[in-house]
Amino acid sequence: MALATRRLALAAGIDRGPFEDFLVDEARLLDERRFRDWMALFADDGTYWVPAVPEQKSPFEQASLFYDDRELMKTRIERLEHPRIHVQTPPSRTAHLVGNVVIEHADDGKGEFLVGSTVIMVEYRDDTQRIFAGRQRHRLRRHGDTFRIVQKRVDLINCDAAFEAMAVPI
Amino acid sequence: MHDGHADEIGTLIEPGRVHRRVYTDPDLFELEMERIFGRAWLYVGHASQVPNPGDYITTELGRQPVIMVRHRDGSVQVLLNRCTHRGAKVVNERSGHAQRLTCCYHGWSFDTDGTLATVPVPEGCGEGFDKNALSLARAPRVGEYRNFVFASLADKGLSFEDHIGPMKGNIDDLVDRAPDGALALDAGMHRYVYNGNWKLQVENVLDSYHVPFGHASTVNKQGVQFARREGDQKGAAVIETEKKQTASSWKDRKSFIAGNGHGWTSNTALDDGKRSSPVFDDYKHALADKVGAERATEILTPRLHNSLIYPNMSIMGLNIHVRVIKPIAVDRTEVNVYPIRLVGAPEAMNSANIRLLNVTHSAASFVQTDDLESFVRAQKGLQSRMTDWVDISRGLGAEEPDRASNATRGLATHEMVVRAQYRAWLGYMHEAA
Repeated sequence: MALATRRLALAAGIDRGPFEDFLVDEARLLDERRFRDWMALFADDGTYWVPAVPEQKSPFEQASLFYDDRELMKTRIERLEHPRIHVQTPPSRTAHLVGNVVIEHADDGKGEFLVGSTVIMVEYRDDTQRIFAGRQRHRLRRHGDTFRIVQKRVDLINCDAAFEAMAVPI
Repeated sequence: MHDGHADEIGTLIEPGRVHRRVYTDPDLFELEMERIFGRAWLYVGHASQVPNPGDYITTELGRQPVIMVRHRDGSVQVLLNRCTHRGAKVVNERSGHAQRLTCCYHGWSFDTDGTLATVPVPEGCGEGFDKNALSLARAPRVGEYRNFVFASLADKGLSFEDHIGPMKGNIDDLVDRAPDGALALDAGMHRYVYNGNWKLQVENVLDSYHVPFGHASTVNKQGVQFARREGDQKGAAVIETEKKQTASSWKDRKSFIAGNGHGWTSNTALDDGKRSSPVFDDYKHALADKVGAERATEILTPRLHNSLIYPNMSIMGLNIHVRVIKPIAVDRTEVNVYPIRLVGAPEAMNSANIRLLNVTHSAASFVQTDDLESFVRAQKGLQSRMTDWVDISRGLGAEEPDRASNATRGLATHEMVVRAQYRAWLGYMHEAA
């Protein structure tokens, strides 16, 4: 399917480059802990979702690791900036790698795109290094010469595992 | 310690302090698995997780793998998840549906009440082969109250009624909030683990002392924690910012103990009882339609925050959930937190509860993560041999009887509830099997 979609995207004359650039920039904001800039990438109605089971259908009927709208994102980020966030003393350091980018759906007329990619995030904190990996999907809306995120969904391969505390977004 | 000598265990607990070995000694942990998790009434699961015959979940009681499965006759069975042939774990999924439970190794197949049903190549079995003697082991005692299923792995001991009796009202408080009078634990779960002893989580459930500092990062500049629930107009005042001290309303909160290590905290200061929003009001109407307006108001009058049913589960009345504590090793614990759907409530209300629990108790939540950090640091700090004692003396001697609830009352920022847990702990640990 991925190959077919890619051919379609190419046939429609959609250049993957701007999407890849956007995802790389987004990952860098997270790695540099520029959380407010990261949040600004989201549309006003944007959401960030990390399901807790594979192929989860809805964030409203089942538990999720993260399901933040802009308001919750703001509270989360205020907490990340708080001097007494114990679970970030010391803070996490992360390195994201984003690849295997595929434009899964494109509606150039409406300016809406669904972009799939693979993400690996290595996190180091307090003498411990761990790895998160999975497939992510960005629902993007054209915004001037860039995009706004309508939804970022990260399906971790171990989404239903028991996790030690997670403090920063993937 | 290897023989678990009663006198030595007795030296580890004093009225206002606990020896650090209680959290760090692997031999003591082994003894806990035998003497507490091997015989106390443990919460297993909720009957709504296995609504139809053949539905099952798998879990652990202490370190024992078990299957909770609905049998044809409607009963909920608690079976040890261990093939009676060569010992393999029979069911490997966390939940599912099966007519028979079949071992992957040689194909022995068990009925949903544990009876051995079929064995491949039966002609190889000797003459003395007795299928009836090879059922999956069953938890010797199973008890159920309003769909909460408990089991004891010992065939004798405190009766289920005596164990759960003092906590029935706390379970009722939650279940009665459902317009149809039933809960459904069918909205997934949050799973987290930490490198620390299981009792750190158990103690924390009723600990109101840690909130203003431990969760400082969830309190805004006005000293108020974020509004937690659908219909809340604002969050609870946790800190008086001008004086930079814990808010008096927080300090006035009460906690209660009622024997067997159980306890609960009152909801004062967290809830002004004035919730209102379109979604909450719809829910309140749905409840009033079923039970009458007066009873609905009574049910929705906030009374309870957390309730601990010692040793392995708690229910929360504030942002409703069921929490199960699973010891893995002396310094490793898994916790499962289940969102609750109130059956008969508008879906928007249930969704709001499910979403709220992500914020407070997922592995990536705003609240639980700081607790996990505290547990991990406690386990690290307790490695120190220069200071052997953990202090749990706050409010020692300040307990008083509470006739209304037939319990003992203290301030929630005191440590009465922890002392009660260690009295129960000693009771289990002292008694040889």
